[in-house]
Amino acid sequence: MRGDGPAAQGRAGAAAAAMGAARATTRASLVARGMRHAEALLVYVVLVAVAITTIYPFVWTVVTSFESTGAVFQFPPPLWPRQPTLRNYRTVVETVPLLRYLLNSVVITAGGVLGSLVVAALAGYPLAKLRFAGRNLVFGAIVATLILPNEAGLIVNYITTIKLGLLHTGAGQYAAVVLPSLASTVGIFLMRQAYLAVPDELLEAARVDGATELGIWWRIMVPLAAPSVAAFAILQFVAFWNSFLWPIIVLTDKSYYPLASGLLDLQGQFATNTRAIASGTVIAMVPILAVFVAGQRFFMRGLEGAVKQ
Amino acid sequence: MRSQLRTTLIAYAFLLPALVLMGVYTFWPMAFGTYLGFARYNVITPPQWVGLDNFRELAGETDFWTGLSNSLRYVLVVPIIQLAAIGAAVLVNRRLPGIALFRAAYYVPVVTSFAVVGIMWGWMYDQYGPVNWVLRGLGLLDRPVNFLNRPAVALYAVMFVTLWKGFGYYMVLYLAGLQSIDRTYEEAALIDGAGRWTVFWRITLPLLRPVILLCSLLSTISAIKVFEEIFVMTGGGPAGSTYTAMYYIYSKAFQDFRYGEAAAASLVLAVVSLLFSLLNFRYVRGGQVA
Repeated sequence: MRGDGPAAQGRAGAAAAAMGAARATTRASLVARGMRHAEALLVYVVLVAVAITTIYPFVWTVVTSFESTGAVFQFPPPLWPRQPTLRNYRTVVETVPLLRYLLNSVVITAGGVLGSLVVAALAGYPLAKLRFAGRNLVFGAIVATLILPNEAGLIVNYITTIKLGLLHTGAGQYAAVVLPSLASTVGIFLMRQAYLAVPDELLEAARVDGATELGIWWRIMVPLAAPSVAAFAILQFVAFWNSFLWPIIVLTDKSYYPLASGLLDLQGQFATNTRAIASGTVIAMVPILAVFVAGQRFFMRGLEGAVKQ
Repeated sequence: MRSQLRTTLIAYAFLLPALVLMGVYTFWPMAFGTYLGFARYNVITPPQWVGLDNFRELAGETDFWTGLSNSLRYVLVVPIIQLAAIGAAVLVNRRLPGIALFRAAYYVPVVTSFAVVGIMWGWMYDQYGPVNWVLRGLGLLDRPVNFLNRPAVALYAVMFVTLWKGFGYYMVLYLAGLQSIDRTYEEAALIDGAGRWTVFWRITLPLLRPVILLCSLLSTISAIKVFEEIFVMTGGGPAGSTYTAMYYIYSKAFQDFRYGEAAAASLVLAVVSLLFSLLNFRYVRGGQVA
């Protein structure tokens, strides 16, 4: 039993030490967890503060658009309309052709998105998968458009639009708005990148089976690049829906204005009727926010994809 | 040989729409715009070469210098917006419940048109508006100010809107950058006893450098060209305090129809933004950690 003494003591000591260590670890991990909680709380405080800053102007605008009476600016600014009414919406729709503007926006955006998708999806294919004379030159020229500043673009494109006779021709006015932004370098890059991931063997097999290049493009490449197509479509949707400067410059006939341009015109006409303008603003931003909420994942991924070349 | 020629023809058939559109709306404007800078032009009669006349006229115009100096001052927004974007990206890169909502909230201004944003901020900045209410509540202001009507602050007020609308865009790019960083570097440094701040400063930030370069280039170029927010919110006023180079170009071309002078100003602005791009390259590349 003598022999057991030190061993037992040792064992007990080890156990005590282990327990002490365990207790210390628990305390340390408790402190660490506490700090982590405190830090998470701090992070949330910052996150919420920034979110309030980014969202509040929208809230204010929506509330104002539904307010019926009283001063526009109140202290504190209201978070909810006191007596909600649709009167401001009726005023704005009755005095300004907002529905016509909405239709214009739909036509411009649909044409712009579809057109730029087709252009980019076509151009990306040979750049990714075909060996042809001048490939490097063409690719280099397209890359160059990203780097070379083109501040005179606005002026020359305006002159070109006049010379092409697109200014007074009804539907030609839609073309005048859409055409300059149809060939998107970012889009061509995105599509090329997506095609590069498609294995060559797949294309060879299709060629052996007698598929044409157009058939390969449409049946194999485009479907396999669908996520990039979706992401690019959403990016272009935002760009075309939001454009207002070029339409204002190029459209002589206001009845072809898209919503955003019409909204600025409205602001000029109704400088004093804040609530009517707020209603117009809400009408202009609801579609894009709806698309954003629906396609949020693609938005972010599309943007990320556009960077990772 | 014949199949090689065939492939080339097919390739150009695919490229045709893009090349035609780019030719007309990108390459031609670059070439013709450069030529116009040295010409007198009114669209009706053919352009007339006048050498450096347009530039001499520019040099004598106060408006042009006001615009250029305000555009240069606007570049101040670049470091601020990039810091905000990096900070936001680091915050929303955590795995916290509801983090996707915050990402979305920061991105909402990005997808909203400047037409909408500019009008909304006109109200925010009104002397009876919410910004005044908050600042006075915090004791930072003692009497109401209409920010967009004060020459001393109007430019900075517009800059804040640019920051507000734009940081979410760069945040997503930085988020992509952060997520592509191999975690093992950071973990190894943490095991070696480095603090979290040191890890961020010495490892994360240097690995983020390519994205920082890209983002600061993009935001410098758009800061120098700032126009839409000014067009909607202040129209270049008050007293020219928000009149930028792009505003000068716009009014020369589309109000005065002096295309040659506008093109000359565009060339000056193009050279300035090219210089800033080169500077960006040097600066962001400069401190490279081996």
